[in-house]
Amino acid sequence: MATRAPVVQVEHICKDYKLGEETVHALKDISFNIDDGVFLAIAGPSGSGKSTMLNMIGCIDTPTSGKIVVDGTDVSGKTPDELADLRSRTISFVFQTFNLFPVLSAEENVEYPMLRRTDISKSERKERVSFFLNTVGLAKYAGHRPNQLSGGQRQRVAIARALATRPRIVLADEPTANLDYKTGESILSMMKAINRAFETTFVFSTHDQRVMGMADRLVRIEDGELTTLGVRAGNVWKYVKEKDVPIPTSDAEMQQLLKEDPELRRMIMEDPELRRALLDDQSVAGVAGKGGR
Amino acid sequence: MPYPTTAALAFRNVTRNARRSAIALIAVGFGIVAMLLAAGFIDDILHGMREETIETHLGHVQITRPHYLEAGLAAPFDYLLPDNWPERQLLEKTNRVVVVSPRLTFNGLISLGDTTVSFLADGVEPDKEKNLAKQLKIVAGQNLSETEPKTVILGQGLATSLGAKLGDKVVLVANTQKGGVNAVEVTVRGTFSTVTKAYDDVALRLPLKTAQQLLRVQGTHRWVVLLDRTESTAAVVAALRQQFDSKKFDIVPWSQLADFYNKTVTLFSRQVTVMKLIIAAIIVLSISNTMMMSVMERTGDVGTAMALGNSRRDMLSLFLSEGLMLGIAGALLGVILGWAFAAVISFIGIPMPPPPGATEGFTAKIRLTPGLTSQALVLAILTTLIASVYPAWKASRMIIVDALRHNR
Repeated sequence: MATRAPVVQVEHICKDYKLGEETVHALKDISFNIDDGVFLAIAGPSGSGKSTMLNMIGCIDTPTSGKIVVDGTDVSGKTPDELADLRSRTISFVFQTFNLFPVLSAEENVEYPMLRRTDISKSERKERVSFFLNTVGLAKYAGHRPNQLSGGQRQRVAIARALATRPRIVLADEPTANLDYKTGESILSMMKAINRAFETTFVFSTHDQRVMGMADRLVRIEDGELTTLGVRAGNVWKYVKEKDVPIPTSDAEMQQLLKEDPELRRMIMEDPELRRALLDDQSVAGVAGKGGR
Repeated sequence: MPYPTTAALAFRNVTRNARRSAIALIAVGFGIVAMLLAAGFIDDILHGMREETIETHLGHVQITRPHYLEAGLAAPFDYLLPDNWPERQLLEKTNRVVVVSPRLTFNGLISLGDTTVSFLADGVEPDKEKNLAKQLKIVAGQNLSETEPKTVILGQGLATSLGAKLGDKVVLVANTQKGGVNAVEVTVRGTFSTVTKAYDDVALRLPLKTAQQLLRVQGTHRWVVLLDRTESTAAVVAALRQQFDSKKFDIVPWSQLADFYNKTVTLFSRQVTVMKLIIAAIIVLSISNTMMMSVMERTGDVGTAMALGNSRRDMLSLFLSEGLMLGIAGALLGVILGWAFAAVISFIGIPMPPPPGATEGFTAKIRLTPGLTSQALVLAILTTLIASVYPAWKASRMIIVDALRHNR
């Protein structure tokens, strides 16, 4: 994986917008790369700018300054039509609210993004529709309209739709937020399995622990600033902190970090191997135990 | 996106959104029904007036000596058409000609007892006039007959001012060709009315033979020609003008004679045009409102579609196509409903008061012509398309992230 070029390069992205009289700095100088085939979570509390970040990677929003390279193409300064074309070939979306077209059946929804692709023949389209509906386990529901499907089924149709164009990258904005725990779990495992099987790059924005637990890359954004980059190799997380937050070099620093980051704490608590690999068991038990209550 | 795909998507959107499409169809259909009924009603009145004018006294074509119509009444004897001219036979054999009725027009005085008033008379051949003057209504008594030459029928107003009743003997006095005065006694056989009250106040009709005896002339002033259909007039006039010597004859179509009708048509046509504009404006407003609602309701879908790689153009042509399809469907619906309503209303009939200058009311119908129907179709489709332009443009210019947020 490391030998391949990153699918997305984010370089010094800033995003400002006006809210009434005031200028809000939604994102402040953010840089990171997304490697091919990763399962990456963009985490952060609501309002932190993670959705904005995701939208910019998806070329449906443009940065105020900075550069984004998607699949080797610098997207800054592209016209809306060029971006639309890039999206239809390279990028797919899975939305929190599923966003299926209510007038179209499940199979028509899956077929939809392929319709504008003149390079995909009709028979190829049909093949892919049945293949991906089968992949998400909804072959039986091909003729159902979204309102005849449960939330989990809808999200699976949306995933099949996202995969149908064989994109380089699937962007999922809080994909489990509108689903109950169990359904969310199964959706996530499915995406992880697809990520493994097709080596499709997945990028999530989420504040869901489980999503972060399954990710092999973590980007934390708080108040528009990138605070953590996490890389998991095997079962070991390696954290890289940017800006004025130092990279922990000692257990004491790690403890401090854990104190400030309840999510990281929980993640480590839930994963004994990670706990063992990263930290001294006892010291973490102390800190994490306090937070766990 | 290739256009057939867009069209297929638009079709699915329209057919699968029954409620939204129904609202739009009702708006378009209602406008078209309103336009068809109103225009068809006025058209029927005008059409009835036209046919009545033609069939009562004008005929489709009148053939006279040159300039008779301008100067003839003052010098009736200078413009006589001899009965034995060969053109008369030719005329009767001309294609589409149903009947040729000669008329001798003159004025004079009519007396009953002590009362004497002036009149305007048409000497006619009763058999031929029966075909021609279908709309000349016999109010009392009977129409003229070949077998009763010494009879007269009086216009309703003339009979009233004279105080004449059926069976009364009246005396007609007129100047003869040689300058003398002649009189004839005739029996009142009936009274009649036409669409023009001013005419009924002075008009009488008598058999041509009696009229020619009274004036001591041979020949007539006009050959009034009735055709099979009013629509054939132009063709027949053109044909006759080629065959007949213009130094000997004036060939005048009814439209040049029906001054009142022509002015009425001009007046009403303006009104109908204004009405069509108003209906077009109503359709544009209500459809653009419906289309706007449809776009707003689907803001999330638009955001999704664009996020999935559709261009602004795709969105624009999608919504325009939907507008076009709604326009076509609404137009067809409106036309079908319009024809159905028109049939029902025509079957029942609309009782109408006497029009200005007339003595009798009539029953109006809704007259829908292919021309009017195609106008309605074009109007509906065009206005709906125009009404879709702004909402479609609006949809194509949506900010994707804002549109997506709409779903939450």
